[in-house]
Parts: sequence; C-alpha cells; structure tokens
Amino acid sequence: MDYRKCASEILAGIGGKGNLVSAAHCATRLRLVIADNSKMSKDTVENIDGVKGVFESAGQIQIIIGTGTVNKVYDEFIDLAGVQAMSKEDVKQAAASKAPVWKRILKTLGDIFVPIIPAIVATGLLNGLLGGLSRAFPSITDHYVYALLDMFSNAALTFLPILIAVSAAKIFRGNVYLGAVIGMIMIHPSLVNAWTVASGAETSTLWSWFGLWNIQNTGYQGHVIPVVIAVWLMCKLENWLHKHVPEMIDLFVTPLVTVLVTGFFTMTVIGPVFAQLESWVLMGAQWLITIPFGIGAFLMGAAYAPTVVAGVHHMYNAIEASMIANNGQNIWMPIATAANVAQGAAALAVALKTKNKKIKSMALPASLSAFLGITEPAIFGVNVRFVRPFIAGMIGGAVGAAAGSIMNVYATAYGVTGVFGFLITMDCTVGYLIDFVLAAGVAFAVSWFMGIPEEAENGGKKAEPALAVAAASAGDAPAPVAPAQAPAACDAPAKNEASEFIIASPVKGKLIALEDVPDETFAQGILGQGAAVIPSEGKVVAPADGEISSIFDTKHAVGITLANGVEILVHVGINTVEMEGNGFEAFVKEGDKVKKGQKLVEFSIDKIKEAGYKTETPVIITNTDDYASVEKIADDGDIDALTDIIKVSK
Amino acid sequence: MKQFEYTIKDPVGIHARPAGLLGKKAKEFEGTVVTIEKGDKSAAATKLMALMGLGVKCGDTVTIKIEGGDEDAAAAAIEAFLNENL
Repeated sequence: MDYRKCASEILAGIGGKGNLVSAAHCATRLRLVIADNSKMSKDTVENIDGVKGVFESAGQIQIIIGTGTVNKVYDEFIDLAGVQAMSKEDVKQAAASKAPVWKRILKTLGDIFVPIIPAIVATGLLNGLLGGLSRAFPSITDHYVYALLDMFSNAALTFLPILIAVSAAKIFRGNVYLGAVIGMIMIHPSLVNAWTVASGAETSTLWSWFGLWNIQNTGYQGHVIPVVIAVWLMCKLENWLHKHVPEMIDLFVTPLVTVLVTGFFTMTVIGPVFAQLESWVLMGAQWLITIPFGIGAFLMGAAYAPTVVAGVHHMYNAIEASMIANNGQNIWMPIATAANVAQGAAALAVALKTKNKKIKSMALPASLSAFLGITEPAIFGVNVRFVRPFIAGMIGGAVGAAAGSIMNVYATAYGVTGVFGFLITMDCTVGYLIDFVLAAGVAFAVSWFMGIPEEAENGGKKAEPALAVAAASAGDAPAPVAPAQAPAACDAPAKNEASEFIIASPVKGKLIALEDVPDETFAQGILGQGAAVIPSEGKVVAPADGEISSIFDTKHAVGITLANGVEILVHVGINTVEMEGNGFEAFVKEGDKVKKGQKLVEFSIDKIKEAGYKTETPVIITNTDDYASVEKIADDGDIDALTDIIKVSK
Repeated sequence: MKQFEYTIKDPVGIHARPAGLLGKKAKEFEGTVVTIEKGDKSAAATKLMALMGLGVKCGDTVTIKIEGGDEDAAAAAIEAFLNENL
C-alpha cells in the first residue's frame, strides 16, 4: 500500500489543506477536524485505496485505515498538509520549553510556592498582626498568650526551607520525605540560625573547603533558592540511582547515597555560594541607598522584590540594625514598605481583575499578607507567575521608595513594614503615608493596565491545543479551530466518552504480570494485553456489568463484553481446554447479561493440578488494539476478586 | 474476494489460543479483511471475542472469506495456518 498516495488522496478528498483544522489518529482511525464538511466528498474518500470506511462522529471525520497502517498514513498526511504532529502533552511541553529559561524558572518557583501559600499566609498574617500590636501595646509581649501566638506566627517562616523542600521534591518528582530531610539539614538546630546571625549573633567556621572557602556554621532559614536547587539536585540524583542501582539493594542504597551526597554538596557548595552572593547583595544594597536625591531609593525599591525572590532579604535586618545603632533613623524600612505594599497592590489588581476563581481566591489573601509585610505569597503565588504584575510591583516600589527618600522618611525601629510600619514612623506619618499610597497606587494601576496575561484573565479557559494545528494563519482559518480529541477507542465512539476504564479482577488469588504466564501465546500478548491471576479460589465472577460473548463448551474460558466496549477474556488455567469441562461448571450462557460480581464459572483448582495443568489464569483485553494502552496497575501479590488490576486508556 | 471452506479437525475447535493465533495471522495482511462464517454467524478473524463467540467445534465446516489487499497470498497463508493448527 502506498501510504503517501493514500494520504494525498484523503487530503484532496476532504477539500484540501485549507479545509483542514486538525489531524490526529488512534489505533485504527485517522481523526480529522475540518472547517467545512460540505467541501468533503465522502464517497471519494471511501473509495481511496487503503480506506476501509468513513464516518462522522462528535464533529470529527473518522477515516478507518487499520492497525499498524494508520500511523504511517498519518505521518504522510501531516507532512503533505503541512501541519505539525503533536500529542496534547507535546503541545504543552513545547509551549513550556519554548518559553525563555528565566520564565520557566519563575514558573517552577511559582509551582513550588503555590501549594505552601496557605501555611505562609496563616502564619504570615499572624506574624504581621502580632508585630503591629506589640508596637502599639508593648506591654502585651510579657503575656504568655503573646509568647504562644508569637511561636505560632513564626513557625512556618522559621521552617520555610522544609516546606519548600517538600513541595520542590514533589514538583521535581523525587521522594518528598527525602526532600524534607534536605530541608531539615539546611536549618538544623545545630547550625546557628541565619536570622540571628543577620542580627549579629556569633557564628563560626566549620571547615575550610579545601582551602577555597569557609563553610560557616550557619543555617539557611529564610532561604528559598538554595533549597530549591538542593532539592532539584537531590531528585535528579535519586531518580538516576533508582534506575542504576540493582533493585535488591535500591531501598537502602538510594536514599542513603541521595541524602549523603545532596546534603554534603548543599552544605559545602550550594549554600556557601549563596551565602557569598548574599553578602555581595548586602554590600550592593548598602551602597545603593547612599545615592542621593531618591535615586538610590528608587533603584533599591525596584530591586527589593527580586532580592526576596532570591531569598536574600533577611540579611537586610543587619542594615536596619546598624542604621538604628548609628543615628536612630532607619531609612531602609520605607523602601522595604514601598516594595512590599507595591507587590501586594499588584497582586490585588490581579485578584480584582481575574475571572478565575482559583487565582482570585489565592491573590486576595496573598495581597493582604503583603500589606502586612509578608510578601512571599503575593510574589511567588501570584506576581512572578504572571511576570507582568511582578514588574508592576517593582515599578510601584521604586516610585514609593523614591518619594519616601526625598521626604526623608525614617523609622525608629525595625522588624515590621507595611500597615504596621505606621507604628514605628510616628515622626513622619504623612511622609510614610505618601510612600505607602504612592507605591501601592502606582503598582496597582500598572498591574491593572499593563494587563494580566490572558490565562489569568479568562479563567484559564484557553482552548486545549489541538493535537495537530493547521499551519494556516488565524485569518485563513474559515471556522473556529476545534480541538482534536485525544486518541479514543475506535470501535465504541458513541458508547462511552470516558478516556480510561479500570478493570477489576474476576478471580481471587495471586496477581502476576501477563509476561509471567508460562505460555508463550498469552505471555506475548497475542490474544491481547492484560494480567494474570494464580487463583486461590475456584470462582470466576464478572469484573463489571456486561454481556457474555463467548463461553466454551469446556467452560474453561469466558469472554465478557463490558457496557463500555471493553472485551475481556478470562482463561482459567493453561491448556485446560484439554480437560473437556471436567472440573468446570458454568453458571451463564452466551448472550446473558451479567452484573459486576456475578458468579460466571466455578472450577476445581485441585482437579486442574491433578490433571497436570498450570492454574495461571490470564485476564485479557482481547480488543487491546482499540485502545492506546492496556496496563496492569496493581502490584504482584495476593488480591481479592474485584480488586482493580488493569487500566485501559483510549 | 476469495472464499473457501474448511472443516475443523482439531478436537477442541477454535478456542482461545487458536483464535488468537488466527487473528495474528490475519493481521499480517494489511488492508485485507478475513471473515470466518459459521452458519448464519460471521466474525472478522481479528476480532477475537467475536471469533470465539462463533463457537466453532471439531467437525464444523466454516467459510473463510478474504477481501482486499493481496487476497491470494492471504488466502494461501490462512489455509496453511488452518491445516496446520485446526
């Protein structure tokens, strides 16, 4: 058969390239979405050599070609039509991999942060409230309830690296518990807390790394990036080890080596490199704010949020502490406030503008938290994911900080920003208010008008990318582009639109892989894919509602067609056909409708064994070719009847 | 279209294994449809469940129809398969 000729004739038959919207194929059919059905000649297409049938279903033209052939015709077809062949996943991945690296990194950071936002918001809000109240009423700090709440309020931020490590391990597909261990190592109580070090606590040099640099006895509290990098490395290593370590010793070798190598590398290389970067950032920040006329503050107001992304902002306490010690005027805090409330206002604009409930419900509390001084939820959960709000926040932060600097706004203490910052800026309330409002207003406006990416605005309802998208430009496409469906079972298009079915075991016993059945015909999947059970009870039940399609006189095998079109053959024992029904009793006949769990056949395990046959009972999907995949989903071992064992996907 | 009759000699008829093997043989011929008829029932050779559903036993005579593609080669191969296995 000439695939190219077949493909070109089909293309002509459906009205040419211009009429094609998308193309996909399943196990036996070419599935096309065309713009104008009247341009297609069904008779012509049906008579093309290689085409076995044509019909229309669910807005698609389905052209039956046949197993093993359809993919070749499809390849030629998309080549001729000038469309790209893509699976849905490919389209998504391609979309992701086309994005610039920095965008992908930001997206990953966002993905890591989103699941842990509730934890940070809860304790972050509490933290902000307590900070504010303690400034307003200093005496409450002596109360035991305050001490208790204070502990709650900083728990998530104190142990942030563990939360991040767990979330990152999930994203990078590693073991989340090993991820947690890496996070724990980085903030182990044996290390001096990074926050207290920033505030002047003593730390010490643990070890000089081959004379190249010193490893400080300092934890990584408040850090984000080093944790993410460490866990990323861990997951790569872990997955590599899983593949290469023999299974017998995998369980103890892989976790041990993973933690050992990652932990060591983290503490000696990743951590110190970041510690060094941080100290440079700190020096840069200190120098920057010395630039007069608000220029330095402007630049720092813009740069502040990116330093939060980098996780180096906790170092700023050191700057503030030295300012207070120097002349009692903390000019850093108004800059931080401007940057923080600007990010909050940018997220607020997203919250108010988006129609996506999920984003809205996240952006609102994140924004509130930012106004109280805890910006991570707004930055990671909302702004960096959509990029433009983040930039809007930077602009607002810069403007507000510059205004504050020009008006010489200063705080008399440090530790709070945002709304509660009013409590420590009593000397220049008006200036602080202008700083605050200007930053928030500018950020909000820019975020609102610069536009939130479409995805956020329309509720993420962007049409799913088609499997293959016609190369014609939007203007050429005469009709709305319909998304192509994922490959579906060809022979039961109308019966059920679900894309996968779980098949239960019809027999109780020990589950094994089909390949392990001691019979070549079954093991090679010639009758179809599936699984097998070594029965412990001589009973076959219906795995789901369906109809008996075949039952042999010898009663050793029964075929069931399920309501969803899946055809299952249960073959009790190997070569048991030769027992001629002795030891088997059937309770149904061909054509009977059966209910899930209904008894179909009883058999004597002992008689099969006495007769010298193996009892392995293959459970086979005989119309495997109609599906994209048939896989065993349960682990080998003892199972009850009706345990889910096979997944059939369209 | 080519067509021939065959009388099953195998004592157990077209049960699971021979049905599967027959289906496999039929799939070797792309673009060819092999149909097995017994009385008024018929089944595509590649449709295992339908084929088994015919309940073909020893001594039954079935009609094999071969349509499309290289009919001669397919017919010869199927006939050889039947003689050897059934």
